[in-house]
Amino acid sequence: MKRELTFLLALWKANLLAAMEYRVTFISQVIGMMLNNAVYFIFWIIFFDRFQQVRGWTLSEVFLLFGVVATSFGAGVYLFGNVMDLANVIANGRLDYYLSLPRPVLLHVLASRSITSGLGDFTYGVLSFIVARQFAPDTIARYVFGVILATIVFIAFLTLVQSLAFWIGNAAMLSQQVSNALVTFSLYPITLFEGSARLVLFTLIPAAFIGAVPAEFVREFSWATLAQMIVAAGALLTLALFAFRRGLRRYESGSAIQVQL
Amino acid sequence: MNFGRLEKYLAITRTQLINSAAYPLDLATRSIMIVLFMAIFAQLWNATFRAMGQTTIAGLTLSETMWYLMMAETIVLSKPRLSHTISESVKDGSVAYLLNKPYNFLLYHFSVAFGDGLSRIVFNALAGGTIVWLAVGPPPDARGIPLALIAIGLAWLIDSCMTAAIGLAAFVTEDVAAFDWIYAKFVLILGGVLIPLDFFPDWLRGIVQSLPFAYSVYGPARLFVSPDLARFATLLLGQVLWLAALATLLTLAYRRGITRLAINGG
Repeated sequence: MKRELTFLLALWKANLLAAMEYRVTFISQVIGMMLNNAVYFIFWIIFFDRFQQVRGWTLSEVFLLFGVVATSFGAGVYLFGNVMDLANVIANGRLDYYLSLPRPVLLHVLASRSITSGLGDFTYGVLSFIVARQFAPDTIARYVFGVILATIVFIAFLTLVQSLAFWIGNAAMLSQQVSNALVTFSLYPITLFEGSARLVLFTLIPAAFIGAVPAEFVREFSWATLAQMIVAAGALLTLALFAFRRGLRRYESGSAIQVQL
Repeated sequence: MNFGRLEKYLAITRTQLINSAAYPLDLATRSIMIVLFMAIFAQLWNATFRAMGQTTIAGLTLSETMWYLMMAETIVLSKPRLSHTISESVKDGSVAYLLNKPYNFLLYHFSVAFGDGLSRIVFNALAGGTIVWLAVGPPPDARGIPLALIAIGLAWLIDSCMTAAIGLAAFVTEDVAAFDWIYAKFVLILGGVLIPLDFFPDWLRGIVQSLPFAYSVYGPARLFVSPDLARFATLLLGQVLWLAALATLLTLAYRRGITRLAINGG
């Protein structure tokens, strides 16, 4: 475990140093993404300026929701950036490189790339949480814990979907659409959705566990919410690891010569 | 600037349209996003209208709001995406390959992008329209369709001028991703894609409605749900004026960019 952690830290350090080589691009991506999120949030400011609340949600709750979603999404794509490109890595035979090294394959693939703009999302999420003014120490602790579990759900679910590439070949478009759906749905109040739509958001596209459920947990502690989050994160992580390992048995190298930069 | 004959650009658009239409499954998959957005909007605006207890908000009924949003989403999700294409051709030097061809570099990209957009708009309108029809019934006024189509053509030209200018920024900054994200979000908010401009506070609405973003999305989508000739004429005038101004700025930016071009190798 300690060995893997040291390995991860080394990868993240290398990714950061590589990104910092192009400082202007690095800074523009981070600040650009923060501005991008801020402009998007204007929608909710205008919406609640006119309608005050929708199904029990006010602007303050949406700030908290963005605080959780943006932070966990940002942490996920920055620390495990290849989770957005895993289907292509599999389909193009680029797993060969990772398979030839004495390190856990999935961990190595996912962490060998950092998406710089994720730092912008992460920072924006923290700022959004600060604006929501939930400064009690236990609230902050729940926020950190909620973000960690939401990040696990995000990474595990995308790994699961992208691993479909082992069976169906080109799963990149499907993964992109599913990832868009996951993020889009997670940014809306869960109370808007009823019946089967709500069921989908807790199962097939588990957006509720990236947004509404951890946000609810941050707002108010409850054993039921905590249990929901832990079970969801544990189940998805197990499924993702199982799918990737099963898929790996089907993996066939294209014997393509790859240069890993 | 040699614009040449219009036919060759139409031929490029036609070729691209045929290329895109050869992959209907790919186009259908790309339409999943509009289905998602419309499903969310149906829930959001249904809940909002119910909570307000009103049949009309700022002059729009629930049905008009949903059809407006469907058209706005269709315009944005189908529109030509020039910034990435142009910035990539500047970064990898392939701009040099196109410069010595018997067509204008910008108009070539406009034509290709329009071919792509035309194929996408059909699928997006069908997919989004189906969801909205199921949620709130048929569109308020079918006469809005031909008027909106004309306005969408001009709207795309306005948008293309702005995104092409972002792409050309690669001559100076190399990476234009951040500009692209922020521009896309300006379109979402100031163009009225996520919320109709009619719902904006009074003091802000007047300013936002005069910006090019409104002429590239809100205008055509609003015309689609409330078609009348006076609205059409006002919209057209605004679009032509913005188009003239933006096309001039784009031409100047292109000329300046070309002077900075340095190609290494062959």
